[in-house]
Amino acid sequence: MERSANHTHVTRRALLRTLGALGLGGLIARSAGAPRPALAAGNLASLGPEESVDATMKRLFGGRAIKDGASAMKLELPLIAENGAVVPMSVEVTAPQTPQSYVKAIYIVSDKNRRPLNAKFNLTPAMGQPYVGTNLRLGESTPVRAIAEMNDGTLLQAKRDVKVTIGGCGG
Amino acid sequence: MSADIGRVRIRVPSSIKPGDTVRVRVLVIHPMEIVQRKDGQPVDKNYHFIDRVVVTYLDKEIGQFETTQSISENPFFSFSLKATQAGVLKVTFLDTHGAKYEGTTDIKFS
Repeated sequence: MERSANHTHVTRRALLRTLGALGLGGLIARSAGAPRPALAAGNLASLGPEESVDATMKRLFGGRAIKDGASAMKLELPLIAENGAVVPMSVEVTAPQTPQSYVKAIYIVSDKNRRPLNAKFNLTPAMGQPYVGTNLRLGESTPVRAIAEMNDGTLLQAKRDVKVTIGGCGG
Repeated sequence: MSADIGRVRIRVPSSIKPGDTVRVRVLVIHPMEIVQRKDGQPVDKNYHFIDRVVVTYLDKEIGQFETTQSISENPFFSFSLKATQAGVLKVTFLDTHGAKYEGTTDIKFS
């Protein structure tokens, strides 16, 4: 959408399709261990689109059911974050990682960020315990969700509200 | 500041027993540039941020994180590791300008 100024007669749909194809192409090239395209890897087209959280969830998980994982996982975040630029976060799923049953990926999504997906952590059984922690940037007070994807495709979600005093995304 | 870009620090517990699941903490110095706006519209340029983190233990990839610019400057990550054998733990950071930063630490038992 951002680039539509450069293309006068591009429909929104066509543009989105192109962006999607670009993103997908990048992913495939990278996962195969090929050299990364050096030019413009950080341009707007390769960032996640600016969208609502519903659109993000749909893009990531399609229509798959997401179960409430509040009892199976622990999401730690401050209640009030003075500085949105550095918000410490950690997620732990209580069941250990075993080759039979493990957490394949943990997604961190901040509902009110312009690009809601903060990070995706791909895990393996060799990690022992499904646990990740990092520092997030939050633009404003927002619910933050952690979604754990099990190896059998089950999705579990935990959600916490964070009050942000000073936004961390610049302008 | 900019001379320090890519400095990686890895911390593991000082005493590890074989089979323990331990917490590893990693820090890298990096600006994690945020999207600029002009007249409410985002500016299109090649933003400089880390978009991939790869964790390797005993020469095997055990985790891969896909990150965006909504991770803080000088990003910090922590994760678990099942210490099965003594060996090298390596964390590699890849950024959008094609740079690669690595940090390693030895997992040893005491």
